[in-house]
Amino acid sequence: MTAATATLLAWQALLERDLRALLRSRSQLYSSILLPLIILAVLGSGVSEGLEPSLVRDRDYSSFLVPGIIAMTALFSATFSGASYYQDRDRGILKAMLAAPHPAGVILLGKSLAGVAVGCLQALLVLAIVALIPAIDLEWQYGVVPGLLLAFFAILLLNLLLGGLAHLLSARITTLTGFHLVMNLVLFPLFFFSGAFFPLDEVPVWLEVLGRVNPLSYAVDLMHVAIYSDTSSGYLGAPVDMPVLLAVAAAVLYLGVRRHSTG
Amino acid sequence: MAITLAVEALDVVFEYDGRRALDSLSLAVPQGSIFGLLGPNGSGKSTLISLLAAMQAPQAGSLTVLGEKPGPRLRSRLGILFQETCLDPLMTVEETLRLHGKLFGFSGQTLKSSSDRVLALLELDQRAGDAAATLSGGMKRRLELARALLTGPELLLLDEPSVGLDLEVRSRLWGHLRDTNEEETTLIVATNDVLEAERYCHSVAFLSRGRTLAMGTPDELKRGLKRDSVRLEWPDLTESTLCDIASWPGVGRATWIAPILHVTVDDASSFVPRLFQAVGEGIRAIHIRESTLEDAYFQLVGLPIAERQEQMV
Repeated sequence: MTAATATLLAWQALLERDLRALLRSRSQLYSSILLPLIILAVLGSGVSEGLEPSLVRDRDYSSFLVPGIIAMTALFSATFSGASYYQDRDRGILKAMLAAPHPAGVILLGKSLAGVAVGCLQALLVLAIVALIPAIDLEWQYGVVPGLLLAFFAILLLNLLLGGLAHLLSARITTLTGFHLVMNLVLFPLFFFSGAFFPLDEVPVWLEVLGRVNPLSYAVDLMHVAIYSDTSSGYLGAPVDMPVLLAVAAAVLYLGVRRHSTG
Repeated sequence: MAITLAVEALDVVFEYDGRRALDSLSLAVPQGSIFGLLGPNGSGKSTLISLLAAMQAPQAGSLTVLGEKPGPRLRSRLGILFQETCLDPLMTVEETLRLHGKLFGFSGQTLKSSSDRVLALLELDQRAGDAAATLSGGMKRRLELARALLTGPELLLLDEPSVGLDLEVRSRLWGHLRDTNEEETTLIVATNDVLEAERYCHSVAFLSRGRTLAMGTPDELKRGLKRDSVRLEWPDLTESTLCDIASWPGVGRATWIAPILHVTVDDASSFVPRLFQAVGEGIRAIHIRESTLEDAYFQLVGLPIAERQEQMV
């Protein structure tokens, strides 16, 4: 067996474990999917009713919120993935895994990628549920299949970014409580300034600057572009979003795994 | 004929944040043996196990395991039983083995047959579909041993394998370990249970403060000890009486942790009558046995004596 095959087999085993854990821990599954949908229903309906329709991008606020809701699902998944590192460490399971004949980085990257895959599945599930809601009109400006592929790409990069960030933080913070506090402190501002709740081109300059330096904005932007009709004005577009997301996600994931391997 | 060594350590040093856990430790473990690492808590046993398992690298000295410098590749030839339970409570017995097998490059029919073999060997086949959380302490330990044996290791590293287990479970576990050794797997067992080491290990090393104090078979280590060990319950023993007894011919080491006096002697049948003749009353109970590895351990390691502020002559 070559080293590459052995690595893929190990990653497959780690992914199987995470998927099984997700299915057995229903509370995690339900909270990751239901909470974003509840926010979509309550916030979307409430704000849509209270605003002049012409002022709302994508015609109604619920539709506008969809990319942000998917980003929120990814955020929850990343938090769970980071928390699972602490559980595995405290139960000794991580040590047992690291006793396998692979460099530590291979196991840690596999664990991270398993979390990313679970996050992608949850986000795609939310997108599928949202697409079935009659009040939300996903227009797929590039067609359904290319749009889905683009949305999947955005979801994948977003999960890589957040998963990497969660691992980077869990490598530096020793307790699970501290990790949750810092995740909330880091991720919620990133989420608020990502264009998930309001368009970034019609806000004060300082807020727009914060949005533009926020890597989450590019994921939300890419999802807007993928799932709605021609909305090129006010959006950065895929040629900007994809390289930025790819570069930041790869850098953060690399730093997270490296920090864990040497820590 | 030259003995093939499974492990050879020479002046190995390892420090945690400036605290020296292994201090020029040297060791030679014959291939195919059951080798005990005996020492008090903090003597470096677990650190040595983690170095042998290539989980950490020595900072100085040389370490060879199964003819290789420890590294990730070596781990495919090892099985490890950690001191603490390392099981995912949500995974079943079978899933635990499957995950481990795949991490070690096993798949398909090879993995299935290896898994069935160790489940049968460790008498867990009836619980294959049960979650690890539902197993008793002894079964969890057997599952961990099954996991360590799954890939057919040449060297099995066991860190306190029987700690916390009742006598029956402990005995069955050791039965499995001896069976494993008979199939030519070398076993290195870190323990602070001297009786267990004497009963099951072919060779033993006494560790203290990260160093090897003595190494050999239990018989070699006991050689030079007085033949009998006498334990007396004697609350009113005075220092002058203790010094007097220690100076008698045929008396070896005399240690006192109130109210117990422990004396090693050449011949208990002559020592005890003399003792009663000389000191009269005050002794409440007496227990005589042949000297064991434990006596050799206390004589050589001495740490528990120092820790308990024992009065020693």
